[in-house]
Amino acid sequence: MNLLELNGITKSFSGVPVLDHVDLEVRAGEIHALAGENGAGKSTLMNIVSGVTPADSGQMLWEGRPVRVRSPRDAMNLGISFVHQELALVPQLSAAENVFLGRHPSARGWVRWSEIHDRASELFQSLGSPIDPRVRVADLSLATRQLIEIARGLAFGARLIIMDEPTAPLTDQDAGCLFRTIGNLRERGVGVIYISHRLKEIFRIADRVTVMRDGRRVLTEDCARMSEDAIVRAMVGVELKERLEGRPASDAKDTEAIRIEGPVDITVHHGEIVGLAGLAGAGRTKLLEWIFGTGRNHAGRIFVNGREVAIRTPIDAIRHGIALVADDRKTKGLVLNASLRDNIALAGSRDVFIHAAQETRAAARLAGELRIKYAGLDQAVQYLSGGNQQKAVLAKWLFAGARIFLLDEPTRGIDVRSKAEIYDLVRALAHDGAAVLMASSEHEELLGLADRILVMHRGRIAGGLAHDEATEERIVRLATGGVN
Amino acid sequence: MRGVLRRLGPLLGLAALCAILGTLSNRFLTVDNLINVFRQSSVNALLSLGQLVVIITAGIDLSAGSILGLSCVVSALLLKWGVPPAVSLLGALALGSALGATNGVLLTKLRLPHPFIPTLGMMNVARGFALVISGGFPISELPSGFRFWGAGSLAGIPAPVIVVAVSCVLFHVFLTRTTAGRDVYAIGGNPVAARLSGVPVDARLILVYALSGLMAGAGAIVLAGRMNSGFPLAGTGAELDAIAAVIIGGASFFGGAGTVGGTLLGALIMGVLRNGLNLMNVNAYWQTIVIGGVIVVAVWVDAVRKRAEERRPK
Repeated sequence: MNLLELNGITKSFSGVPVLDHVDLEVRAGEIHALAGENGAGKSTLMNIVSGVTPADSGQMLWEGRPVRVRSPRDAMNLGISFVHQELALVPQLSAAENVFLGRHPSARGWVRWSEIHDRASELFQSLGSPIDPRVRVADLSLATRQLIEIARGLAFGARLIIMDEPTAPLTDQDAGCLFRTIGNLRERGVGVIYISHRLKEIFRIADRVTVMRDGRRVLTEDCARMSEDAIVRAMVGVELKERLEGRPASDAKDTEAIRIEGPVDITVHHGEIVGLAGLAGAGRTKLLEWIFGTGRNHAGRIFVNGREVAIRTPIDAIRHGIALVADDRKTKGLVLNASLRDNIALAGSRDVFIHAAQETRAAARLAGELRIKYAGLDQAVQYLSGGNQQKAVLAKWLFAGARIFLLDEPTRGIDVRSKAEIYDLVRALAHDGAAVLMASSEHEELLGLADRILVMHRGRIAGGLAHDEATEERIVRLATGGVN
Repeated sequence: MRGVLRRLGPLLGLAALCAILGTLSNRFLTVDNLINVFRQSSVNALLSLGQLVVIITAGIDLSAGSILGLSCVVSALLLKWGVPPAVSLLGALALGSALGATNGVLLTKLRLPHPFIPTLGMMNVARGFALVISGGFPISELPSGFRFWGAGSLAGIPAPVIVVAVSCVLFHVFLTRTTAGRDVYAIGGNPVAARLSGVPVDARLILVYALSGLMAGAGAIVLAGRMNSGFPLAGTGAELDAIAAVIIGGASFFGGAGTVGGTLLGALIMGVLRNGLNLMNVNAYWQTIVIGGVIVVAVWVDAVRKRAEERRPK
């Protein structure tokens, strides 16, 4: 009998279908890998299983009985535990306290410390890791913290543990420890759903693998009967949309706009769009933010228009015509409670007094050119849609006269129409001679836009693909640590 | 529409308060008394303007009252040494600005976790120096050229009121017409985005704390002039009244919002409240209790308003 069975799970967010009649079966004592590109629907599916998000339709069976999971607490009571990517531990408390967080064994309101420590110690031992239950979680490694989360699940009687890319932040050695723990879970008869991009890991630990693409299940198969190639093909799909057709000729010129030397070597020419691919945590955001002058202690040299420049702060970067469209526009891109005009003018106006009339004209012109939908220039940008907010960020950099654009996931979380408009805008920037370095997890958009694609893996450039030789499979292979 | 209400809220509060006090006391709504209210509110209004720019950056300046006390003592001492009033006056302003800038430097360059820390330190240090320098005794009998700024008047308008009016205009221009002023709002709204947009965040923060110190120096001149002495305990707790005025005036503790007009109204509401309670012979102990309640209610209203705005985004 299956421990967990999903039948026809369907979900859409504001009209956009994310999951389309997905089925999934997980057995007790099975390590079940879940693979798929970003946006394939893995996380949404797991959020439905763990009660974070409700499904629109479909059925969930637990040990053969239909169940409704309305909250994370419901899932926990059934025995479903989620080990989050961003760990849900309290760093100031001890390992044992974290294991029993919210459910301290107590007698008439007095915490029974000896019992907490004994039981936590036992759990850690049984997972093959003799952690001192009294040590503060803040002093533990990431891998050990994950183990504590797993122990917490087991302490509450978890029968199914969901892990979302648990090895992403881990070193190889720590990952080895985690794999041993996972093997231990299998022996206990606990089911594990293991989300990972790393195909080698999947073959190392998983019994079966399910591949998802565009909100559907493509296949579920024993790992013994699969190959890495077969999984990549399933993830990418055979009917690859030919976005390369109708793509305008490259505007790349011979003159170099920006060159990075150091741990990574990157050159972007005027008129060129260079794509930056890689898995989450591969270091793309860090790289772009470092170029923009926000990081510290990074070795590396930056050349703008052939001359070496010192960029210590974003102010230096902006002075050299560099713009950063950060990965999170709400926390890094916009002053949400300030007006559209003030946001557009923020980076470009550096005179003592505000030239209000001039700014208003320029902001209105840019808002029109970028087709920002707004009620008034005095409207706070928090009331704009995601796509319009992203355009406001771009308008800010156009107002500031930027010529080198560092784009970090520029279309994340925005609707299809705005995406297309932002693609057109990026093309127009390159056509005007601007240099674009664009990080994206959506391979399609890199394939469609970029003249060249650089693939990052663990902080390094794993390889470069010219536009004509770039395929989704090659990107995935480089990004997952394979050879080109 | 809600923006208008937000702006008018403090004004309606002040009008309602005046109406109530006018009916309770026939001495309240007289020209003499209203001028008196303005005069009594002037020191708080000056400190509030400084506190306003700090609070817009989501900061706080706990040292304003102590800087005022030290500036009082130092300017009085300079006068005693025979320094001309104009120089003594500039000395108070310069000292206040320098101590305020020090707060800003400590906050930004030492990367202290919250402005509470450097300004709390400065609050104690400045007060301590005021007591050390003066030996704990007031320095009195100041020349009339200096006393003018606290006790004099021009065409029937008290000099402190003129100082407040000019300061209000300057602060309003700074906040609404200069890029530095817009930076101040941007830092309070989202410091990360501001930094990534090329706003010199550290320099702006040092500037706002210097401005707060400057206004403490201005408050010192007015207060020393009015009391005809440099009193080392002058301005004890004054920063808290200023913070209250700013918050009552519609600024947000969360940063990014606040106006000069609102802050002035906030200072007047507090002044009117004190004056009215005096006229009704409410004893000073009870006044403290009433004002404490008003502050909490005003901030509660601010929080409710903010929650309501978040719930109805359109």
